[in-house]
Amino acid sequence: MNATPNPVTLSASKRNHPYPTPNPVTLSKPAPSRAEGSKRNSQPSTCQRQAGPQPPTSNLTKVFKYTLIDLARNRFVLGYAVLLMILTQGLFMLEDDAMKALLSLVQVVLALVPLITVIFTVVYFYDIQEFTQLLAVQPITRRAILAGQLAALTAALLMAQAIGLGLPLLVHSPSPAALVLSLSGSGLVLVFTAIGALIALAQREKARGVGMALVVWLLFVLVYDAVLLWLMFAFSDYPIEPFIIPFAGLNPIDLARILVMLEIDLSAMMGYSGAIYRNFFGSGMGMLVAGLILLLWVGLPVFTAFRVFRNKDL
Amino acid sequence: MAEPRIEFHDVGKSFGRLWALRQVNCSFMPGEVVMLIGPNASGKTTLIKCLLGLVHPTEGSIHMSGMAIGRDPSYRTAIGYMPQISQFPATLTIAQLLDMMADVRGLAPGEPDDGLVETLGLSPQMDKRLATLSGGTKQKVSAVLALRTRPQVLVMDEPTAGLDPVSASLVLEQAVALRNAGGTVLITSHLMEEVEAMADRVAYLEEGRLRFLLPVQEILARTDAKRLSQALPRLLEDRQLHVPAT
Repeated sequence: MNATPNPVTLSASKRNHPYPTPNPVTLSKPAPSRAEGSKRNSQPSTCQRQAGPQPPTSNLTKVFKYTLIDLARNRFVLGYAVLLMILTQGLFMLEDDAMKALLSLVQVVLALVPLITVIFTVVYFYDIQEFTQLLAVQPITRRAILAGQLAALTAALLMAQAIGLGLPLLVHSPSPAALVLSLSGSGLVLVFTAIGALIALAQREKARGVGMALVVWLLFVLVYDAVLLWLMFAFSDYPIEPFIIPFAGLNPIDLARILVMLEIDLSAMMGYSGAIYRNFFGSGMGMLVAGLILLLWVGLPVFTAFRVFRNKDL
Repeated sequence: MAEPRIEFHDVGKSFGRLWALRQVNCSFMPGEVVMLIGPNASGKTTLIKCLLGLVHPTEGSIHMSGMAIGRDPSYRTAIGYMPQISQFPATLTIAQLLDMMADVRGLAPGEPDDGLVETLGLSPQMDKRLATLSGGTKQKVSAVLALRTRPQVLVMDEPTAGLDPVSASLVLEQAVALRNAGGTVLITSHLMEEVEAMADRVAYLEEGRLRFLLPVQEILARTDAKRLSQALPRLLEDRQLHVPAT
């Protein structure tokens, strides 16, 4: 049975219908304020007469707000917070020495946070693809859409991390090392949200995107260390000091690890390279450089993601 | 004579080596329903996505109300869009989604016409999360979003797919009402009954090219047929047919 209404009825319905005239819109006119909108409320048929695009920041805030509301109820985000809390709490309960627990936690955080962040970001961006399309046909710039979504996603993951990792750390080990671990974890959230967004926007297929995210994570967590180790052995007869610092900057996870290790004062565990790291990153200038490199790791993927999204066919 | 509301000038779109649209020239007037038909992958969706700014044409230009559309999104204030597949943020409620979209369009509370919420029977479900809704209900939400601002241009991609007969009828009636009030309505459809019932003109796309854009009556008259479903195959038999689109 076809759902189509009677042809005659619809064809004949060119008669005057009690439907208000479509809103005439002047394309170039600026957006009205909400107050102006309220004044026009008494004239519903012309409610959009002066409607136009909102300032990008205003639309960014709106996209941010509703995306964050959506994410706040997202099971994955809630699960992430709970998982981090169980792990952190569990490690502190198993170890008598808070510093040892913190050390174990460093390894967990530096592997888990990038993995969960990059995978969730990729999956989330694919899941909201159709909705992003719907937003993109509104009078709103693509820049505002991506900025709002990216900011909300980062905020949600940072909040989950603050609850799951930050709170137990505050209770069990309120120390500078714990603070650096929290900040490094937050830095990694920023970096891997940016990388995840870029992957999701550049790669059309979800399965490929997730695969690529896994490869990126493996490169940073396993392959990079293996390559570094091999290089240090292979070139141990040569003066490789000048190359170790720039090499550290190639991996945000390693950079975060170095910063935490220096704060825990366990750089000795890192052997020869640990001494080089201590000399450089132990200074104020070294910390500043590390911060700048992490910022670069956020900025470059974000910048590229915006360029990709601007020209992308949705 | 009224000015065209939408004009396509030599619009082409390629995805790599594949040309989804080629040299499309046509215009759509205020107060008409144009049904876009054609085989699968003929370029219907790409055509409307070009108009909506979702896809950037490789060549040519599109004008709306006389102004070339580019990256400035302001022209979309005048457009309502109902996509073929409706997916929304899973945990938002219908009410939150409607608020968000009104917010994004800069409308004050109460400004959008939400009578359609009642008409389509969505009122009792306003506080339900979007993830829990059936496909048909999501389509109704999508219809409300497209129609509630009473746009000058309404674009619907397979609007009745997934809708129950009553809701489908209601949504199409709203589209016709918009046309009667001077709006331009573009609908893609595979259902000939739907096309015949609603269309003022029919645009036929094939392999990315617009083969014809003709009034329904003219199609019937040319082919001496009583129904569009009979007329179209006859019309398409004439491989030379390429009626300039106006």
